[in-house]
Amino acid sequence: MAGPVAGPAGGLGPLRERLRAAAEEFAGPDDALPEILSGMVEDVDRALAEELEIFPVCHHSPASALAMARRLAEKRPRVIYLELPEDLAPLLEELRNCRLPVALQAFATELDGFPADWAPLSVVAPLTEASAEYQAIAYALDTPDVELVLVDRSADHVLQWREREDAPDADPAADGEGRESEEAAGLHGDAFGVGVGRLRPGFAELEAHLLHHGKVRHWSEWWDQYVEQPLAGADYRTYRQAMVMIGSLFRRLRPERGARLAVDEDRERYMWTRIREHLASSGTDPATALHVCGAFHAASRVEQFGLASEAEPFPIPERTGTAWRYGLIPSSHSAIEAQFGLAPGAVSLAAATWSRTLTAERLTPFRLAGQRTGRKKPKAAKRAAAPPAGGAGEAGGDRLTPFLDRPPVPGALDEDELRGWCVDLVRLARRNGYLASTADAIAVFETSVLLAGLRGRARPTPYDFEDAAVTCIEKDTVPGKRDVRRLCGMLLGGDRIGTVGYDALPPLARDVLDRLEPLGLNLTARTQQRALLDLANRPELRPCSDLLWMLRRLLGDVVRPVMGDRALGGRAIQESWDLALGREQRALVQLGYEGVTVEQVLEQRLRRAVREPDATAATALKAVEEALLYLGPGRLVDDLGSRAVALLAAERTVDQAPLVLRRIRRLLAYYRTTEAGPPHWAETFVTTGYAHYCTLLPTAFTDEEVGARQVAAMLGFLFGLEGFALALGCDRAQLELAVRQCHPVEPDRTALLWAAEHRLDLLPLPALRERCAELLANPLVVRAFPRYVSGFVQALEPVPSLAPFVVEQLSGAFGRLPDAVLLPWLPRLIMTLRREAAELLPVLVREAGRTFPGALPALDALVPPWEAPPATAPARATPVAGPAGGLLAAHPAACEAWTAVLDLPVEWARAAPSAGPAGALVAAHPATAEALAGVLAG
Amino acid sequence: MTDNLLRAPAEVKYAEELDWLESVDDGPKPFSWRLSPKMVRLFILGSERADGLDREISQKWFGDRAFVERSVVTLASDRGLLLIGDPGTGKSWLAELLSAAICRNSTLVVQGTAGTTEDQIKYSWNVAQVIAQGQSREAMIPSPIMTAMENGVIGRFEELTRSTSDVQDALISILSEKYVSIPELDGADGENTVFAKPGFSLIATANSRDRGVNDLSSALKRRFNFVRVPVVTNKRSEAEIVRFRTAELLRRHRIEVEVPPTLLDILLQSFADLRASAANAASDDERLESALSTAEQIGVLEDAVLHSQFFGEKELGAHTLASSLVGSLARRTPEDLAILNKFWHGVVEPRSEGEQGGPWRDFLDGGREAIATLS
Repeated sequence: MAGPVAGPAGGLGPLRERLRAAAEEFAGPDDALPEILSGMVEDVDRALAEELEIFPVCHHSPASALAMARRLAEKRPRVIYLELPEDLAPLLEELRNCRLPVALQAFATELDGFPADWAPLSVVAPLTEASAEYQAIAYALDTPDVELVLVDRSADHVLQWREREDAPDADPAADGEGRESEEAAGLHGDAFGVGVGRLRPGFAELEAHLLHHGKVRHWSEWWDQYVEQPLAGADYRTYRQAMVMIGSLFRRLRPERGARLAVDEDRERYMWTRIREHLASSGTDPATALHVCGAFHAASRVEQFGLASEAEPFPIPERTGTAWRYGLIPSSHSAIEAQFGLAPGAVSLAAATWSRTLTAERLTPFRLAGQRTGRKKPKAAKRAAAPPAGGAGEAGGDRLTPFLDRPPVPGALDEDELRGWCVDLVRLARRNGYLASTADAIAVFETSVLLAGLRGRARPTPYDFEDAAVTCIEKDTVPGKRDVRRLCGMLLGGDRIGTVGYDALPPLARDVLDRLEPLGLNLTARTQQRALLDLANRPELRPCSDLLWMLRRLLGDVVRPVMGDRALGGRAIQESWDLALGREQRALVQLGYEGVTVEQVLEQRLRRAVREPDATAATALKAVEEALLYLGPGRLVDDLGSRAVALLAAERTVDQAPLVLRRIRRLLAYYRTTEAGPPHWAETFVTTGYAHYCTLLPTAFTDEEVGARQVAAMLGFLFGLEGFALALGCDRAQLELAVRQCHPVEPDRTALLWAAEHRLDLLPLPALRERCAELLANPLVVRAFPRYVSGFVQALEPVPSLAPFVVEQLSGAFGRLPDAVLLPWLPRLIMTLRREAAELLPVLVREAGRTFPGALPALDALVPPWEAPPATAPARATPVAGPAGGLLAAHPAACEAWTAVLDLPVEWARAAPSAGPAGALVAAHPATAEALAGVLAG
Repeated sequence: MTDNLLRAPAEVKYAEELDWLESVDDGPKPFSWRLSPKMVRLFILGSERADGLDREISQKWFGDRAFVERSVVTLASDRGLLLIGDPGTGKSWLAELLSAAICRNSTLVVQGTAGTTEDQIKYSWNVAQVIAQGQSREAMIPSPIMTAMENGVIGRFEELTRSTSDVQDALISILSEKYVSIPELDGADGENTVFAKPGFSLIATANSRDRGVNDLSSALKRRFNFVRVPVVTNKRSEAEIVRFRTAELLRRHRIEVEVPPTLLDILLQSFADLRASAANAASDDERLESALSTAEQIGVLEDAVLHSQFFGEKELGAHTLASSLVGSLARRTPEDLAILNKFWHGVVEPRSEGEQGGPWRDFLDGGREAIATLS
């Protein structure tokens, strides 16, 4: 086994002197430049001389991954210290079941110690195959007796220190250029990203300078050209020296007092403190350990740096009381690019470079046993990673000078590969609607080479190729959905989206997948799946339907019903669903943090909803309804119902009276259809509500902040549920008294009160009509009449029988109100009705339809019912025929005695003579009739 | 020579710079190019210290380096170059600079119009000579494009999409076969064909606002590489362009005026605001007819300077700038005037309030007066 590679510090002395001399010549001895340049060399010396071998990395860098694979194969370390949040360690084993890229996630919804408006908190650490950290993880987990120790601050500390850091360095340029797909880029949600070895210039001017002089457009491109490619084939010593030097350069060229630097230094103290703790407790020989950290941290100058340091351990702050939950969520190349401000396609390109290098060098990287891979295995992977010729030998000090002396050697893009790209791109472009031909492939090839030459590169880079392709193939319009730049991205690797395997999912997610198995769909697929449930013929699918409705409630559009509905008391016999569980795996995983089954999560959420400080009776009733709908009747419903009763009794406002009324009505209607009838809580709710609203009614009528809608809903509750309430022991006198106590001032409330009085038989309809007629006749109050009418319309809720009267009053208003009053009122009436009383309108329209004729001609002849003359008095009753009538007529004495007792006039009805011509004839010539009577009598 | 010309072409104006660049250029040159591609880029985008040159080369076109590189490379390849973009984005200027740098001749231009005929692209005849001597090469009048072919230099076609489709399609054979046949002549001496010499290529420009008028055929499209030149929205670059071009234009009038930075700021800010409002407009009626390009800004500034020079106090003021801006942008009555009125009262007025509002106050008054005069 090889020991630490750190060479003697003296090896870099000549380079330091050379740099110092050059700096002094250009900038003068008093300038900061000589110090910066010679300081860089010192940093390299210091990092390499450290007893614990430091492996500097850059995130998503194939060169780092390659060097790591080689170094691990050569050194076989026993302990690896990795710069990742230490509390994510238990998740690493689960990576076996995933297809990368995935992200390790720490998630918290119940915060303790953080501002409540930060919730939910999410910290993600994405991992790709082409990364050094993955190589280290795969090696450590699959090699017996190797320990992997995560040493960076925990997710909790990431958030604790968040305020001290500057804003995250999201790159606006990265957003501007057609991102692969918004959907894939949003896979991490609004999480905080943590990654191993984030390396970027400390301030914008430096980056702009580097890009300008590197003749590149994006930082990723610069890095690829000047660091990544030259280091790809470098030996370990060169790699380490160069990486530490770049880390040191960026460290030294950054704002002196940047808040970010302070946080970075604290992280370094944290890491070194953890490392020392572990070494002391496990007795590990530092020579057998490897510390993998970002190049930036390798050039650290904090006092705790190094095992030889005698500084006090860093006092690690306590974590807050926030309960963190951990899991794996799918990630994607574009999500990583968006999270870390990389150029679109940079991670895909790194992945492509990685697999190309593996094939070219016939290497087998470390890979977790059992892991699914996103690509085909490289056929040529025959031998384990081995150091390149001249590898990490112990001898030789300064590898930096040759590295700095020579210009970057162009990457290994050969002509065949470029030709292949050109041909494939043209094929892809044709499929996407471009009129591209072989001539274009040739032009792209030629232009790529010319562009590379113009930009001072011996061979075209993928970025040159992309520019050439845009120049030659893109015309004035984009024919399809994707433009050429995006097609290039697809060609050079494309976005890859990871999946979390079944075994790595939380129990809830696994349970969901198991229970939906009868549907026979591939629920892990990233495409939307259509599920058809014929519940009438396949009743065994009913549990699936139940589960889907619960998921619909919890996850929103992740599962979407296309056909079918679920309401209290109703069940569809056929349902059809669009399921996106594979694509929205993150939502399912995050749901899994809340419980073990969907039912449990739903129950928790419902219980939490009614215990919230701002919970109201209306929300509690909603929770009851949902519990009934998704979980069925049971103890939960009773608990929630009891809570609703308590909340109602404690309410001092009636703002939500309309909601309460609507919901309790629906619930009672449902319970009436069940065998058991309304449960105890519902009865209590009605009796409590009856007493509650009776009590609040007088104040509600006068309170300016209570709208007519609310008062109407209160009356609706009182009248609508009166029968039920009285049956349960309430007293109607309470309501009558309450109504008598109401003395509204506002016209609409007054109208409502009149309606209530009418309903209680305290105000007959003619009297009500008379009051309205007086209002219309009085020029002083006519302007307020519309508001009375509005009140009557609202009164349709508690007193639906008033509908004909409301139509009458509306008609009267239209007919008699002056235009100056009517015209401004009409739009307001319509708006108010639409907003507040949409369900009352059909009643009104129906009634109007009954009252008014349907055709125009009939309108002229219309006499509205209220103007029609009172119906003629009913014809005097004809004497009752039959035996009883005969008996009474024959023996009138008994009836006459009774009438005398009752002091009523006595008047016997006589049989009216027959009307008509026959009757007249008989009356004029009675002789015939009398003769006939004599014959008959005779 | 430049003194006698109202507007000298780029190769004349920068002749001395081009000579010098040619003398120090040791890079590989395609065909008969006078400069290597790297030097062409340097000539157009200007030099930096890192280039290690003995003298400074000024920047002449302001925009993304990648556009210039793609354009240069296209000219070195087999295809023509089509610069497409909004009016006033510097397409023609870039085309002129490219031609001047590559072949020292930017004047072989065909201007595309609705009346452009195929003759103007290929060749026509000197009728008197034909009657007198019959058809011959001497009696033929070659078009600028044909001249470019014969000499192996760059030909230019301005506003390609303004000319009709049949005329445009005459370019297809020129760009693919690289020769023009003259069937009227006898083929015995090979006189009936004009072959293009190495170095010939074509730079066309097209206005993206003209899309749909005379669309290019697919056959022609594939013979051109399209480079889209965007409107400059970066305030710093735009200020550079306006300053550079205005100074150049005024030099033509022998006027040396220093534009105060505050006024330049006002101009740029006003255009930025108007562009933002145009971008958010729901219909064409709510949008100014002008494309609000950098060239328009230069026009406004030049107009204001000339006005103050000849009719004012020889010093550019915000008042004059405002009248010039209104005068240039108000093309349709009442739509454009209504938009400007809204802009003046909704944006300029608030800006003119407070301590910072100094020159904006004059600008406000000037604009109001101009709008009132035009209304």
